[in-house]
Amino acid sequence: MQIRKLIDQRFTWSWLNKFGPFLALLLVFGFFVTLNAKIATATALEIIMQQSVIVGIAALGMTMVIITGGIDLSAGSNIAMSSVVIALLLDRLGIPPIYAAFTGILSGLFWGFVNGMLITRLRLVPFIVTLGTLLIVRGAAKGLANNMPITVGETWLSNLLAALPAGNKWLLFPAGAWLMIALAALVSLLLQDTRIGRHIFAVGSNEQTARLCGIAVGRIKLFVFTLGGAFAGLAGVMLLSYQEQGDPAGAVGMELDIIAAVVIGGGSLSGGEGSVVGSLIGAIIMTVIRTGCQLNGWPTWVTQLVTGVVIVVAVAVDNLRHRKAE
Amino acid sequence: MPRLFYVLLAIVLLFMACQQQSSNQITIAVIPKGTTAPFWNAVKAGAIQAAQELGVKMLWMGPELEDNRQQQIALVDNQVMNQVSGIVLAPLDENALRRPVRSAVDRGIPVVIMDSGLKDAEDIYSSFVATDNYLAGKLAAEHMGEILEGKGRIVVLRYLEGSASTDKRENGFMEGLKAFPAMKIISDEQYGGPTKAKAQQVSENIIMRFRNDTGDAGFDGAFCPNGAMTYGMLQALKRSRLLEKVRIIGIDADPALVTALENREVAGLVVQNPIKIGYQSVKTMFQVLQGQNVEKRIDTGVVFISPDDLAKPDIKELIYPDLDKWLSQY
Amino acid sequence: MVEPILTPPRFEMRAIHKRFGATIALDNVNFRVHPGMVHALVGENGAGKSTLMKILAGAYKPDSGRMFIDGIPFSPKNPMDARAKGIGMIYQELSLARHLTVAENIFLGREPVRWGCLDQKKMLCLATEALKMLGHGDISPNVKTALLSVSEKQIVEIARSLAAGCRVLVFDEPTSSLGQKDVLRLFELINRLKGQGLAVVYISHFLEEIRQVADNVTVLRDGAVTGTSPVKDISDESIINMMVGKKVSELYPRTTHNTGEIVLSVKGLSGSRLPRDTGLEIRKGEILGIFGLVGAGRTEFARILFGLDPVKSGSIKIGCFSGPYAPKNRWAQGVGYLSENRKEEGLAVQLSIADNITLSRLKNMGPWHIILQERQNKKADKWISVMNITCQHAQQKVSHLSGGNQQKVALARLLHHDVDILLLDEPTKGIDVASKAKIYEILSDLTTQNKSIMLISSYPPELLGICDRIAVMCKGKIVKVKSVREWENHQLMLAATGQRETACKSEN
Repeated sequence: MQIRKLIDQRFTWSWLNKFGPFLALLLVFGFFVTLNAKIATATALEIIMQQSVIVGIAALGMTMVIITGGIDLSAGSNIAMSSVVIALLLDRLGIPPIYAAFTGILSGLFWGFVNGMLITRLRLVPFIVTLGTLLIVRGAAKGLANNMPITVGETWLSNLLAALPAGNKWLLFPAGAWLMIALAALVSLLLQDTRIGRHIFAVGSNEQTARLCGIAVGRIKLFVFTLGGAFAGLAGVMLLSYQEQGDPAGAVGMELDIIAAVVIGGGSLSGGEGSVVGSLIGAIIMTVIRTGCQLNGWPTWVTQLVTGVVIVVAVAVDNLRHRKAE
Repeated sequence: MPRLFYVLLAIVLLFMACQQQSSNQITIAVIPKGTTAPFWNAVKAGAIQAAQELGVKMLWMGPELEDNRQQQIALVDNQVMNQVSGIVLAPLDENALRRPVRSAVDRGIPVVIMDSGLKDAEDIYSSFVATDNYLAGKLAAEHMGEILEGKGRIVVLRYLEGSASTDKRENGFMEGLKAFPAMKIISDEQYGGPTKAKAQQVSENIIMRFRNDTGDAGFDGAFCPNGAMTYGMLQALKRSRLLEKVRIIGIDADPALVTALENREVAGLVVQNPIKIGYQSVKTMFQVLQGQNVEKRIDTGVVFISPDDLAKPDIKELIYPDLDKWLSQY
Repeated sequence: MVEPILTPPRFEMRAIHKRFGATIALDNVNFRVHPGMVHALVGENGAGKSTLMKILAGAYKPDSGRMFIDGIPFSPKNPMDARAKGIGMIYQELSLARHLTVAENIFLGREPVRWGCLDQKKMLCLATEALKMLGHGDISPNVKTALLSVSEKQIVEIARSLAAGCRVLVFDEPTSSLGQKDVLRLFELINRLKGQGLAVVYISHFLEEIRQVADNVTVLRDGAVTGTSPVKDISDESIINMMVGKKVSELYPRTTHNTGEIVLSVKGLSGSRLPRDTGLEIRKGEILGIFGLVGAGRTEFARILFGLDPVKSGSIKIGCFSGPYAPKNRWAQGVGYLSENRKEEGLAVQLSIADNITLSRLKNMGPWHIILQERQNKKADKWISVMNITCQHAQQKVSHLSGGNQQKVALARLLHHDVDILLLDEPTKGIDVASKAKIYEILSDLTTQNKSIMLISSYPPELLGICDRIAVMCKGKIVKVKSVREWENHQLMLAATGQRETACKSEN
């Protein structure tokens, strides 16, 4: 009998574990729907998804980094850098958009690799390393762009995050949002169903054990930081698409939004936990809050306050869940 | 005795700092609000121009971000330690910078304030060189009324909480609009935030709030108190395909906005004269250092530019200034 | 003491030497284990057991000497290498990835893969099989290990070592956090493993356990082997003699203490988890021992007394002060607490000896709250000589000291503060014999100055040696308090475990 109770308990909490963020999203969304039904229209949903893409894509990478117990504070700068690189290539060199976008992703990947190398080779703490690269990359982006945003002409890149044209409403979301969802599925597969995914969790859960079991801890960390950088690079593509500028001052402080998305989605800053789907939902929750508040004409301070409360509640529930589960 | 060593070292360093008297050359430190925005590059160009004409040395250093008060305070304090001849400052915060400015003046270093005001400090600084932001907002309101023929619904996209210059523009605009009883401000509570992408998102949400199914935006005019807000609103309207329905009037210009003005995507821009701000501030500081009397308040003026004005030569000079000529000399 | 050679040894260490700086950790150690045998390794803390095991596990390299597995020379480059070559370690602090499931933990690093993806089905299947083989088919391979009990975690660790193909399995104090029932199940399991031809090394200092489970025993003292023998041929007495090197009575200064009025009285005290509704009295000038198993709530009890953890109900009265208080107030009331967790909690290891000793009382170190180093050093020097702390100078970093000397520094802080009631949590854990003797001597001296001491310990001889009274704690409750003359070693164990069983049952 006791055993069954235990199993029940395990079941309930693991269920909450999986669907907690989704439940929170429904709750927040439902709350705003009762206030203003406009948020439930197709246009509003499209805008919400579109506004979640930049943070969401970067959160895919950040989730992996956070699962290994690391953190990447340079993500915001990395996004800006990528947008500047692409804008320069498009505007100054006239390179085709596809190659420019690819180079932007490579720029993100490169900075992620630099983070990873500094952390694994020099055995530095991720927080400090990325605090440094936050400034380095931001400075480099400003230097590269000569302190000025670079405006790019309209290319198909701009359509990644543009409102859907009237005839294409059946797509529901802009291409960038679908790309985000597809990548989330891929990363989820990577984390859940491949060896490297298990190793990422193991490193964050218990680094010593992972090492003892023959996992190349350094290589795993290098991998997640590099891939995380690449996702930041892709988020930079999205920023460029959205703003139609390569902006060296763009995405300032966005790393905190990204981290918040991961945490709302059930990620633990001490490692070992986190889910890609959760992080996406976290990003969407934050957008829903902002959109909802602004649709009702609530002043900006209310938006910030509500977002803050949701973050704290998410972490508190998470903590409670852990204590119950053990 | 490592502690004793550190104490001695500190004393020696302090002593050296005090001894580091600049030679006869006048050094003027110019501290802007930020270093990224094109606006500040223009101010810098003006400052360089004045410094060259007057034969003084100009130091240009600003905080990374336009909301980093601590960094700006530290910059002012450092310049005081550096024993510069005078400081030209564009305060990020009308209160927080008062203490460092006072301590600079107490140590015999005069301060000229530019661009944004410093509250309750008229007796401390030597002069205040700036656009009259309130008048700029009012000017925008007059033209908004004119363009929309005295009627319509207006959105004000504010910039950042606590930014004095943009607050004044917003207030000036709202005050000026009272002259048109048939015009109504339907939203003035949203702040766009520090980045363009954020301003764009906020604009999208405002549009979503007011738009209706007939394909109408639900408002006729938008006022944006600085370049980033104007760009964000422009992008949001463009991507919602509502650009033809809404007239945007913004303050400040940058290349992207001037292009938009050319394409008539923006109805008009109120432009300050940042080069003049930089130039006049350094010049005023020079006069102060020479012991001349200067005016307590120097207005550098604003101009409203409509798409039709772009061809005028004086306007051209104002919006396509040859900054590189000066910037390359710093 | 030569054992009959039945089969060639599975694992052998020959003439292992290891020194750290000036201290010789291992001196000419020979050690061999045969397949299908359980070989116990005993010795006091600091005798060199852990160094020996770290060499075996590949964490340290010996300075000289050779090792063999099945006759093949074995010199692991690192723990991973040792594991790959067949050494499985089951540590005291279990090393599982708590966020992963049982199956994932068992196959960590060697997950079965099919077409680039994990073969979840195969993994579950193999894990279930492995657990069944260990007689623990009841553990679900799908559950996260964070949800398992300590004994279940241990099983998973064993399964992992077996899955890695280990030939020598080392248990390091495996029963320290298990209940009686789980201990028996573990012994069953060890016998089963033995039957499968594994060589098992069993580290413990519980002689009864060794009698139950081991075939041979090797005793270490001060880094050298003092004897190896089949367990059945040797008496407890002689094992202890080999371990301690001198008669037990010599270690403990036996003085009669004049105990006075009650200085600390606890009634019906409960914390948020432990302790549960318990009471105790401590008198002036006495040493009160507290015995109990790990997890009985002894540390929690001391922490609550010192105000580190919140009081849920009940009363604490110290002298004339009562009610819950914070550590700051406790210091002011003349109570000092020595944490069991020396490195993380007890000491600021990156600071100097002088800083650590004077940390809680930095008054009178100079004018205007300035701390003059000379004065601080003078104070510290006094305690360095009183406590016989081996160090270069008072400004040396505590992290550079040996465990015993670190513990003396921690204790010196309480003495410097001149507290009247000392709450000591395992003050002799993991330190060398000489330091132990010194600490016992100081504690004894303190009682003559009318100080009161509450001594938490897991080591019965120590309690029996120096305490006036001993209280036994079980499941968060003090179950028996008697004068030391009325206690015997096995009674302590009985009191600590006997009721634990029933308590466990009632809880499930």
